[in-house]
Amino acid sequence: MNRSRIVGVIAIVALIGVGVALPYLGTTAYVISLVSTIIIAGMLAATVNFLVGDGGMASLGHGGIAAASAYGAGWASKQGFDPGMQVVVAIGVTLVVSFVYGLLSMRTSGIYFLMVTLALGMVVYGLAYRLSTVTGGENGITGIRRPEWIFEYWTFYYFILGAFILTTLLLWVVSRSPFGASLRGIRDSESRMRSLGYSVASYKLAAFMMSGTLAGFAGLLAVWHTHFVSPSAAGVHRSVLLIVMVILGGVGTVFGPLIGAAIVVLVENVLSNSIERWPTILGLIFILVILFARDGIMGSAAKLVRRMQRRDPSPPDDTAPPLGGAEEPIPPRETTQSHASRKELP
Amino acid sequence: MFEPLFLLQQALNGLSFGALLFLLASGLTLVFGLMRIINLAHGAFYMVGGYLGVVVAGLTGNLLLGILAGVAVVAVTAFLVEFVLLRFVRGQELPEVLLTVGVSFVVADLCLALFGGDPYTLPSSAMIQGSMTIGGLTYPTYRIFVIGVAIVIGVALALVQTRTRVGAIVRAGVDDREIISAMGVNIRWVFTGMFVVGAALAAIGGTIGAGIISVRPGIQDDVLLYALVVVIIGGLGSVPGAAVGSVLIGLIDAFAKAWIPDLAYFTIFAPMALVLVLRPTGLFGRTA
Amino acid sequence: MRSTKTRARGRWSALAGLGAAAALVLTACAPPGAAPDDEGGGGGGGEQGGTLKVGYISPITGNFAIAGQEMVDGWNLYWELNGDEVNGVTVETIVEDDAGNPETSLTKAKKLVELDEVDIVVGPLLANTALATAAYTSSVGIPNLHPVAAADDLTQRSANDLTVRTGSMSGSQMNYPGGKWAAEQGHKTAVTLCPDYAFGWESCAGFKQGFEEEGGEVVAQYWFPNGTSDFSTYVSQIQSANADIAFVGTAGGAPGPDFLKSYLGLGLGQSQPLLMNCCGMDQATLRALGSEIVGFNSVSWWAEGRDSDTVREFSEAYGENFEGKIPSANVAGGYMTASLVAKVLEENGLVTGADLVSAIADTTFDDSIFGEVSFDDYNNFVGPVYIREVQEVDGKYLNVPIETYENVDQWLGKDPEEALSQPTYSQSFQGE
Repeated sequence: MNRSRIVGVIAIVALIGVGVALPYLGTTAYVISLVSTIIIAGMLAATVNFLVGDGGMASLGHGGIAAASAYGAGWASKQGFDPGMQVVVAIGVTLVVSFVYGLLSMRTSGIYFLMVTLALGMVVYGLAYRLSTVTGGENGITGIRRPEWIFEYWTFYYFILGAFILTTLLLWVVSRSPFGASLRGIRDSESRMRSLGYSVASYKLAAFMMSGTLAGFAGLLAVWHTHFVSPSAAGVHRSVLLIVMVILGGVGTVFGPLIGAAIVVLVENVLSNSIERWPTILGLIFILVILFARDGIMGSAAKLVRRMQRRDPSPPDDTAPPLGGAEEPIPPRETTQSHASRKELP
Repeated sequence: MFEPLFLLQQALNGLSFGALLFLLASGLTLVFGLMRIINLAHGAFYMVGGYLGVVVAGLTGNLLLGILAGVAVVAVTAFLVEFVLLRFVRGQELPEVLLTVGVSFVVADLCLALFGGDPYTLPSSAMIQGSMTIGGLTYPTYRIFVIGVAIVIGVALALVQTRTRVGAIVRAGVDDREIISAMGVNIRWVFTGMFVVGAALAAIGGTIGAGIISVRPGIQDDVLLYALVVVIIGGLGSVPGAAVGSVLIGLIDAFAKAWIPDLAYFTIFAPMALVLVLRPTGLFGRTA
Repeated sequence: MRSTKTRARGRWSALAGLGAAAALVLTACAPPGAAPDDEGGGGGGGEQGGTLKVGYISPITGNFAIAGQEMVDGWNLYWELNGDEVNGVTVETIVEDDAGNPETSLTKAKKLVELDEVDIVVGPLLANTALATAAYTSSVGIPNLHPVAAADDLTQRSANDLTVRTGSMSGSQMNYPGGKWAAEQGHKTAVTLCPDYAFGWESCAGFKQGFEEEGGEVVAQYWFPNGTSDFSTYVSQIQSANADIAFVGTAGGAPGPDFLKSYLGLGLGQSQPLLMNCCGMDQATLRALGSEIVGFNSVSWWAEGRDSDTVREFSEAYGENFEGKIPSANVAGGYMTASLVAKVLEENGLVTGADLVSAIADTTFDDSIFGEVSFDDYNNFVGPVYIREVQEVDGKYLNVPIETYENVDQWLGKDPEEALSQPTYSQSFQGE
């Protein structure tokens, strides 16, 4: 266990500690609500990060998936169904939408993947906007209730904190798994993986289903948080901000999406209280981060740590620091060998 | 709904809107073709061109001066964006996305600070006024003029691409960047030049378009979306594709509004999704 | 390498377990801030002195920036002119930008209520943001004043004793007299074009009911989606509908000028009589098109060209503070809301909660900038509606009233129960 790993673990423990203790630190309901917004946005960004970091698939349509799930819950709530049924409908809608996204995008990559997902997000937006008998059109659906047992703002806060930790853990585990390694193989060279006998499209579809399902879950949390959904949740603007959060925090890093989400949400909701030209500030932050920390905040921080380590006299460690996430190069030989039997997944 | 005159009028409505879309999308697709950048600040360039064009055309009463003013300012802005920012992240898709989004945020917000939130439309004194009557059909002259401008620019782009040395360099650059560097052409300046030209096309679109749709806060996202749709349908990097995509979307939009009004707006995105399913690289795009 | 990883994974799960356990323990006892605060609801009344804290939500950036900024300017103008102390009560305003995004509106409303502990929330502007905010504020017992938002249901199906529309009318209410006027002018048939969402359905429903009650017939109704920028198709359709008069509603901003540009371009200015709604022919449109639309008619509850001292004073004060601009309905709405709050403080001292709303609703304002205004039992604005004509006055373009309908309420000639038992307006239901 090297020094940077210790630092990483301490940081994570501290982060969780602060997260858990937050409601007891004299914070108001508003602060908790704001942090909840950040965590939900961070969770959604993490699902985008998984696809782009491990799969090299930059999605510009994840807002659409989250919104579809939120609309599912909203519609169920409008029909007078109980929260349990809301969850069922939301998950059903999410699975269908993710499957359609995955199916239509699995044969594309790079810029074309970006465009297909953008197009699909726009279709969801269009439906939310025009299908007003189901979605309430422009005005959206209001008054969506969350379950009684997480009704209080602080119980709900713990609920989403737990959901976030679980999601992050899950994505981390998947990313470290053989499946994640194969995804990275596809990211780096589709043709090589294909010639090795991998069904590239199925892998991509599976990755998309995973990411989409979690994104739908985040969408459900969002609607439980605000009790409200409208077409803007599916808009291009939202989806662009999601990928922006990921790049800002650092593509492929574990906590990058959360950092990116925090910056965007705080500028939008807090800085805008005091600075009228806050969109300019937000734009400048994007530009400056790219100029001075090209790998995003966490990505560049990880690089910096590694560079300092190199100067360190202690023996080099070939595992990447935990903060570096998916930048870790997987030896292709070993990877492919260990999955030769599983290539037709799923 | 189906009378010949109404159909003809709708066709012209669609074609003229399509012409505006072409002005908008051609720059985006050219830049993509050569530099592989999706310039998400393209809409912001359109916006700046539109605001300046309307203001200058209003002051001078001359549309051409308005266009030139818009083009000049946007060209300088685009040059700075390329030279100071984009050069540092050449070839890295995601940082390019973030950079151009950032530029778009800043430019649009500064436009709001400078020009206020009022919608700006070209004053009629600076527009080609009146309407033409052909047979039984009356149609605004200005919209015919927009179609003309789009055709002229489209033909000019085609000629430059096929008949000139610059065009040859650009075409070579699209196919193989290393080759033209090896030929002794400084590809970095070719890129810069193309980026500026693409932005200038957006600025022209902004000023001319202000006679049809007013320039206002938020227009940058709306027109970017239209341009992306057109470019996706036509195929990224293809100017003929942009032309076909523009006309297609213009016509679909016009007729959908009349015939399937409940799906209007949605009908812009549905064909895009369809094209992507059947031919992910677009109608005229080369296979990746 | 593999074993290191397994161990690492073990550590991770242990950590997660620890975190979860800690969370469980902590959740067993609620944090100190969670004790339910029992304020608002009934509200306090009649105290002398103190501060009335106002949270003002408006879209200052984004697509609706101009309308949002004007709404704020109107509010601020009142306090600048009259001082922010009324009857010993200081009015303190915190302005928040929601960029026209309902999620942001809601976050800002929460911030204002929970962090700043404001006594009332004013705004926001757009119907969808207003409905989302009103649902929240009423759930926490904070009054919500709406200077501009026009959604019918704010004061109908979602009406409550904490929500009041202070500076505008509902969508159907403000256009109902427009229909009556069009029919009274001798027009027999009409075609309508409105945005395809609640505000548009309500606007066109108001016009249609007024028009048909006076014996007219609406022969075709067209709807444009909010993202529309090219109106030529709709103008062609209006042209081919061949009706005596066209009624066109927009929610303000670019659609007004964009529609008119197409309409004038096709040469309909001379041949097709037109009546626009409040917002399609607002000052933003007049500033953009000016001389091209002199003589055009519209229907609205606000008329900046009305011959009245109150309007003139307001207009001059606004012009002095804002580079000679003419106040739009948004400015007027913000200003009116401030005058109402001041009037209530003047008469009652510091009141909050539902008491503040009922005090506003009990107010009758004989000579407001809108004319004689009172409120109905559902806290909606009752007042005059003007048929206006664009005129050039001293080099500026104004909407000057040419006909006035006094005391227009939101029930369109029905009784409230009957009106409320109808379905909400939509493309397919435009009233009976």
